[in-house]
Amino acid sequence: MALETGHDLLTELRFMELALEQARFALENLEVPVGCVIVEDGKVIASGSNRTSATRNATRHAEMEAIDTLLEEWQKIGLGQSEVAEKFSRCDLYVTCEPCIMCATALSILGIGKVFYGCSNDKFGGCGSVLSLHESASEKLSRGDLQAKSFKCTGGLMSEEAVALFRNFYEQGNPNAPKPHRPVRMPQSTE
Amino acid sequence: MTGTMKWEIVHVPGEPESSLEVSTVDVLASKIEPKLANKIVRQLNQVCPLENLRHVKRVRKRTVEGNAELSVILCLSDEYEKDAEAIPRGIHQLISDYNLCPYNAKVAKYAARSKEEWEEQCKLWPTSYHPSTNFDGVAGLSEGELQLIFNYMKVVIQLTKLSYTGALQVLNAAIIVDPISRQVIASANDQTCPWPTTYETSARYNCNDSDVCAGVSCLNPWGWTAQKQSSQSSSMKSESKHTWHPLRHAALVAIENAAERDRQLFPGPGSSESQSTPNGNPLCADNCPAKRQKIQQHVCQLDLFRQEHSMVKEVPDNREPTEIMRPYLCTGFDIYLVWEPCTMCAMALVHQRIRRIFFALPNPNAGALGSVYRLQGEKSLNHHYSVFRILIPEQDLNRVELNVSDNFLLHG
Repeated sequence: MALETGHDLLTELRFMELALEQARFALENLEVPVGCVIVEDGKVIASGSNRTSATRNATRHAEMEAIDTLLEEWQKIGLGQSEVAEKFSRCDLYVTCEPCIMCATALSILGIGKVFYGCSNDKFGGCGSVLSLHESASEKLSRGDLQAKSFKCTGGLMSEEAVALFRNFYEQGNPNAPKPHRPVRMPQSTE
Repeated sequence: MTGTMKWEIVHVPGEPESSLEVSTVDVLASKIEPKLANKIVRQLNQVCPLENLRHVKRVRKRTVEGNAELSVILCLSDEYEKDAEAIPRGIHQLISDYNLCPYNAKVAKYAARSKEEWEEQCKLWPTSYHPSTNFDGVAGLSEGELQLIFNYMKVVIQLTKLSYTGALQVLNAAIIVDPISRQVIASANDQTCPWPTTYETSARYNCNDSDVCAGVSCLNPWGWTAQKQSSQSSSMKSESKHTWHPLRHAALVAIENAAERDRQLFPGPGSSESQSTPNGNPLCADNCPAKRQKIQQHVCQLDLFRQEHSMVKEVPDNREPTEIMRPYLCTGFDIYLVWEPCTMCAMALVHQRIRRIFFALPNPNAGALGSVYRLQGEKSLNHHYSVFRILIPEQDLNRVELNVSDNFLLHG
């Protein structure tokens, strides 16, 4: 972060604002307000927002939604596994809340390029808060050629906005879930 | 059916199994005047609460030569071993105020899981033991329940075999079961590779053979880029655009099928499908024909399987499901998997509120239930399932189909 130019930071904020837009869309639909965009070569190629209530599938996090649209699109145009892997490695994910353990593993499986997130996820976070799956767990998960893939992860981007959405959500209440899915803590620097 | 084989079930606890010797922590303790005990303990709880040692009693009472002797834990001593100055100031104050003589002691690091363990712990320093919170052990399972569990495990191993293409590889399989109604809620195989079109039900394979298992998604989550295209038939290619998916591990597909079932059985409020009509938002994945077809295909497969073995008890349809019966996600349900799930699948099962997980084979590469990580012991998570491993003699694992027969009813 230290060497980042002002231009890069502006670009990052612009993409995070789009992710927040997705999170607001989720909130309007009484979903847990998390949203994301996936960026390739400076262009948004997919977006997603949490759909756990509508689907009654608690794994339908914003990241999974966005990933699925890409996988479908890319297979439709005939890309094979290695080409899809190559595509993902050039993609960055902007998500309003730190990816949970499930999503962080998924992002490592796909070999995503970089991840930028808003607020940290104290209870479920897989990018440093509970587990550190983005660090490829080089010692923990490595056997032969099954190398886990690591990705660079930067947190704290517009975290206040992300937290504010969670506040709104818990104030309005979630009629479908007795317990919150993504508890929030006040943003901290994630160094 | 052979009744002689010895299947076993083992509880996989949230903390790693370890001897008492290694699972202790060093503390600084001191004898105190019994008269001052209340006062000192109150101050200690403010100055230095023992957050992670709630099972350890702060005060130890012993009878020495007919006299009660009280000792109290001042603080953890691990980090102060080399640097006495680092002891919290409040503790220093207490030591000088009450003329205490601190000494080192060891206490158990984790709460006892059995009476025996508790008794062992108390030899070091007294701890509390709550058998009622330890109900998730194997001891609580009746013989009848055990038989049911073993039968479901046979079903899921059989599903693994259904996926065997004769082309070298097996896949992981999962079934989600309601243990109360004894209904199979959902079932699934790995769908990370192109879906096989032929099944070799009589195939014999060795689940410990690493070549055969290379296609098991949770064992090899990062291996999808190197998948061979050989098993992909041309007909398959034209029918479905979504023939492979690096994240469609058996557990995730099973969760999706369970959610689909829930939406079909209970289409009431709570399905905010109408509200979430895509509005500049990506088309929702469930509406894509490819996925629909996959679900149907899968249902067919399970039907076929039911006909063949008539092991799965169907609940009569004369009872209309009502909203009251609608479960919240998979609350109360169990999942059976052949291989220990990876962190993605294990966390998905936390999200979906699965009650118990049963698996047969450990996953040394990426297992999240004891092999590499241990999610059932992550205190910060908002839901905790119980985890069991089923030990199956190798010859049974390789030839399970011989032991599954029509007279082997799950509701027996």
